[in-house]
Amino acid sequence: MSGLSAALRLAMFGKNVLVLEKHYVVGGLNSFYARKGRKFDVGLHAVTNFPSPSSGKTSPLLRACRQLRIPFESLNLYEQSRSRISFEDKHIRFNNEFSFFLNEIYENFPKEKDRFRNFLQKMEDFDAYSINVPDLSTRSILKEAFAEPLLGEMLLCPTSYYGSAQENDIDFATFTMLFDAIFKQGLARPSHGIRAILDPLVQKLDEMGVKRLMNNAVKKIKTYNGKATEIVMDNEDTYTADHIISTCGLVETEELLTKKKTPPKENKMGNFSVIETISVFKGKPTDFGWDETVIFYNDDQEFRYEKPKESMDSTSGVICIPENYQDPHNQKVDESRLRITNPANFDKWDSLEEPAYIAEKARCETVMLQKALEYLPKGQIQKKDFSDATLLKDTFTPRTIKKYTNHANGALYGSPVKSRSGSSQIKNLYLAGTDQGYIGIVGAMLGGIAVANNRILRPA
Amino acid sequence: MNKDKVKQIVLDIISEIAPDEDLSDVKPEIRLRDQLDLDSMDFLDIVMELRKQHGIDVPEAEYRQLESLDSCGNYLLPKFEAGAAA
Repeated sequence: MSGLSAALRLAMFGKNVLVLEKHYVVGGLNSFYARKGRKFDVGLHAVTNFPSPSSGKTSPLLRACRQLRIPFESLNLYEQSRSRISFEDKHIRFNNEFSFFLNEIYENFPKEKDRFRNFLQKMEDFDAYSINVPDLSTRSILKEAFAEPLLGEMLLCPTSYYGSAQENDIDFATFTMLFDAIFKQGLARPSHGIRAILDPLVQKLDEMGVKRLMNNAVKKIKTYNGKATEIVMDNEDTYTADHIISTCGLVETEELLTKKKTPPKENKMGNFSVIETISVFKGKPTDFGWDETVIFYNDDQEFRYEKPKESMDSTSGVICIPENYQDPHNQKVDESRLRITNPANFDKWDSLEEPAYIAEKARCETVMLQKALEYLPKGQIQKKDFSDATLLKDTFTPRTIKKYTNHANGALYGSPVKSRSGSSQIKNLYLAGTDQGYIGIVGAMLGGIAVANNRILRPA
Repeated sequence: MNKDKVKQIVLDIISEIAPDEDLSDVKPEIRLRDQLDLDSMDFLDIVMELRKQHGIDVPEAEYRQLESLDSCGNYLLPKFEAGAAA
């Protein structure tokens, strides 16, 4: 997504662009696939940053649309119904109206009202979007900010799941961006899923004559005197370019360089990955009394966001029901989806041979569904009904994420070390995408745009 | 070429890069930023469109000359004329 966005900006201003894609579909983490005639999105639970009435025109999503000259209306975005953060018996609900969320905080944590206001101010005063932002631990800031630790833990949950590359923490800049993106702006989804965003990007690139080479990976980037001189593909084809933008990740790009200045460090490797199981079921979610869009849950008072010891950990996770976005089309669907996402261990999945891999997927599907039903209204007593209504289940694992994103360890959000500016150790090689540290679909687009603008287009 | 034509060219570019903005009542003497929702990324696009469509270069140090339609007219007119003469 960031690569396509960068390519589009460059082509728009007359640069000769070539897009190289390892996979046979575009999009990276924000991609799609088909099973039994049904289309599934890989990453997309929600497009964040929806310009809700309370956030006005400041939404980065509108910025991205403008820069890419894609009319915002053409995305056909529909807003969430209502979502929830649940920690045991404590629930904070939110929709795209910030005042509703604030009210939920104040009702659930009445003693924290003033402290929460101060915390909002602290975020306002913090220049999260600057390139040279200090690296601060959100967990320690939250611990200091509130008397009741649970409030901080509950805020960390959706923000981590929607964009933290670090385990058990987020840097405060990323947290602030995510907080704005999820709560101050809002969640929405294109009527036709992620392709509503990918298709116009690709179509525009095609119209401008930009060549895309699919299903062929970059094997190495040759360098000489600190400059990238040649790209070598898996099939031994070679390309040269004045500028190269790599969207395959920080560590992953360094590994492509023939002359590395520094070997990749362990602390540069992302560890957090997920498993997601999708149940396609007959009818509408409201047939089961489920009217919420996204539910972030945690079994404990303390939120753990880490690589589990076992293949998967269902004690915390995210449930998403795409048919609960307020798309009029969803009123008349005859089948719907329940998506359940839990932390997962890449190494465990990567070490499994095919029959064991499939068996472990099936085992996890059952465990994940069982747990998710505990967090859905009357989920437990409807277990059999839901099982009877289920038409198809599909599950992707950290191994699948690696296939789509090329991230080492199948790390959902890449390396915990971010390069905002997109600089690499090589002069004419820039990084875009996840490892720039901008978040989600909108972050991917804006990251690619920023690198194209600041590194290549902006006259010296 | 005259200043009004230059202003119209700038307005046409703005309507391309920010189709959601209402340009029917833009005051030429007031800063564009103060009456339209334009940020630095948008100004970069105006500069790049001037170069792409009209071959006019605006160095980064002189972006401020584009702050209002009037200043655009004053600053860009000689550049358009130089381009036409060349």
